[in-house]
Formats: sequence, structure tokens, C-alpha cells
Amino acid sequence: MQNVTQFAADNNIFSSLGIDWKALVLQIIAFLILVFILGKWVYPWLMKSVDERQAGIEAAAKATAEAEKAAEANKEAVAALLAEARKEANEIIGTAKLESANMISSSEQKAQKAAERIAKDAHEQLEKDVENARKMLYNDTLELVGLATEKIIEKKLDKKTDSELITAVVKTTGVVK
Amino acid sequence: MNNPAAFNLQVSIGAETLFTLFGFNVTNGLLTGLVGTIIAIVILVYTAVSVKRGTYNRFIGLVQWVFEGLLRQINDIIPDKKLAKKMTPLAITIFFVVMFNYWLSVLPGLDSIRVNGIPVLRSSAADLNFTLALAIITVVTVQMYAVRYLGVFGNIKRYIRNPFKDPVGAFEGALEIIGEFSRGVALALRLFGNSFAGEILLIVILLLTSYVASIVLPFFMLFELFIGFIQAYVFFVLTLIFTSLAVTHEAPTHDEKKKQTA
Repeated sequence: MQNVTQFAADNNIFSSLGIDWKALVLQIIAFLILVFILGKWVYPWLMKSVDERQAGIEAAAKATAEAEKAAEANKEAVAALLAEARKEANEIIGTAKLESANMISSSEQKAQKAAERIAKDAHEQLEKDVENARKMLYNDTLELVGLATEKIIEKKLDKKTDSELITAVVKTTGVVK
Repeated sequence: MNNPAAFNLQVSIGAETLFTLFGFNVTNGLLTGLVGTIIAIVILVYTAVSVKRGTYNRFIGLVQWVFEGLLRQINDIIPDKKLAKKMTPLAITIFFVVMFNYWLSVLPGLDSIRVNGIPVLRSSAADLNFTLALAIITVVTVQMYAVRYLGVFGNIKRYIRNPFKDPVGAFEGALEIIGEFSRGVALALRLFGNSFAGEILLIVILLLTSYVASIVLPFFMLFELFIGFIQAYVFFVLTLIFTSLAVTHEAPTHDEKKKQTA
């Protein structure tokens, strides 16, 4: 084994560094052959796989971009549909409110009319009942006056006299106006 | 505690010859380098075949992930797609071969398995023959592509300019020539220095920690694995950067700058 200290003492620097020209040339040739063989038969397959993978990645990226674009377009379409739906819903709600208001108004009018009619009927019925009561009271009064007169004059009045007498009394007392 | 000086630690900068085959010295660095390269080939071929068959597991996924990352780096550093594709085999092979060979320096038995007193295992990344070979290949490849893209004269113009017409440009050219050499040498020495120092570090830690080595060493081994990845990545990136700089060297000369200003 050579010692480090021999390096300085050696006259041939190349042989001191272990440089052997034959080995050097052989290694150059061997390495070039290796590069040629690998470049011819090995690297093309690896490069092809890398290219395919790159192409795959690019295709995937393109597909992703297209999907994103489609999603964006869909989003816009969905937004437009939602806006349209909202608009229609608002219109429907507006129409419904209007119709309900009309219906309420119509119902109120009908109810008012019915109430008025009921009140009117009741009023007429009441007037009829008062009229009947007045007539009944008038007749009862006439009968009572007749009876009272018979008692006072102590004789039986005929119908004609009785009627004239009662009428005269009633008129003078002011029971029936 | 043992005295480290008592170990008589000897370190050889060069790879040592294990045996001679047809007059060619087979060194421990060369032998381990062969093993590292075979491991790299087996892993890459296994991954490629599995990918071809469509069978995947976590390991294949990991190799593919690394490969894809390296490809992305190549495309980022070299703007010309055609050139990037041409540089891919060299750059990726450098990365994997350097990384696996560097990682072999943390194999147990690094300095202890010996034949005739010579350690059998020595990472080829710690052998200057290997790192210098890679640096020469890189520098020559860069020059080839520079000539192809700029033309012979265009490339020469980067280094040699008329000192009377454009003295600053001529100085820049001289610096560029020095720069080319220093880049190559730096590529070789950086990897060699890191790997060699890593091996020595592991041996020194082993000697210093003695019986506690089995507890302490794994941390340093993990650190060395990380450094191996970093060094492989640095070599890979520098190869690409040098290539990119060479083919896009269209900076105006000093004279041209003057004309543009006028």
C-alpha cells in the first residue's frame, strides 16, 4: 500500500494519483458503451412511461378544468333557475295574496249583506209583532171596555151600540191614537 | 481508549492493483466500479422492463420518481428540448452510476477485506481514473454540442479573439480556455475528493470509536449515503449547466458591445 508521504517524493504526479492511462481510456469507452446501451434500450421505456404519466396528468388536469367549467356553468344555470323560481314564487304569492284579499273583501261584503238582511228581517218581524200586539191589545181593550160598560150601565149592549160606545170612550181617553 | 497513532493508518490516493489480466492492471477501484455499474444497470433495466410490462411496486415507483425528477431538471436547465433529449442518456447515466458507486464506499468490509494486503473494495468514485473519465466525457460532449450549435468557428470564437481589435474579448477568451480546463479538473477532483475523504472518514471513525463503532458508524454511513446522492446530483447538474452555457454562448464581444452602445 502506498503511503501519503510517498506522493510528494514521486516524480510522476499522474501515477502518484493512481492515474493509469489504459484504465482511463477503458473506463471512458466502457462508460460511453453503457450510455449508448441505456440510451438505446432502457431510457426510452422510462421516458415513455414518464410521458404517458405526464399526458395522463395533463388529461386529468384538463378534465378537471372542464369539470370545473361545467360545474361553474351548472352553478350559473342553477342560479338562473333559482332566480326564475323565486320570481315565479313571488308572483304566485302576490297573486295568492291579491286573491285572498279579494276573497276576504267579498266575504266581508257578503257577510255584511247577510247581516243587514238578517237585521232587516228581524226589524220587520219586530214591527209585525208590535203591530199584532197593538191589535191584540186594542181588541182586548175593546172587550174590557165593553165588559166594564155593561157593568156600569147594567144592561146588555148590542153589538152596534157597544162598538160605538167603546170607540167614543177610547177616543175621549186617548188610549188609541 | 486506543491511541489512533498506534494503528499505523496508511492511505493510498490511487487505486491499488489486485491482479493483472492480459497485461492490464485490474485495480480494487475498477472491480468495485464494475460491481456498482452492474447494480445501476440491473436496477434501471429491472425498472424499464417492469414499466414495459406494467407491473409496479414501491421500488419501481421510487426509481421512476427519481428519473422523472432528473428529466424535469434536464428540461429546466437546457431550454432547447432537442438538445435536452440528446443529453438525457449521458446525464442520467452519470447520476445513477456515480450515486451507486459512491454508495459502495459505505459497504461493510471496505478496508478490512484484503487480498495480499490490498483492500478488495474501494469505491470507484474514490478512484481518479473513474472521475477523470467522467469529466473528460462531459467536457468533450459539451465541446461537441457547442461545435454543433455554434459551428466550428463560432466555438473557437468563444476562446480566441483578435487582441488588437478586441483586447478585453481576447482576455475573456483566455479566461474561457482556463475555465474549460478548470471545470473538467474540478468535476473530477470534487467527486474524487468527497468520496476519498468519505472513505477515510469512515476508517478514522472506526478506529477512533473502537468497540462503539457499530453504534456510531451507521450515522456516518447514512451521512455518506446522503453525500453520495448530493455529489451525483452535483455532477449531473454541472454537466447540464456546462452544456447549456456552451450552446447558448451568444454574449456579444467587447467590440460588438461598443457598436451596440454607439
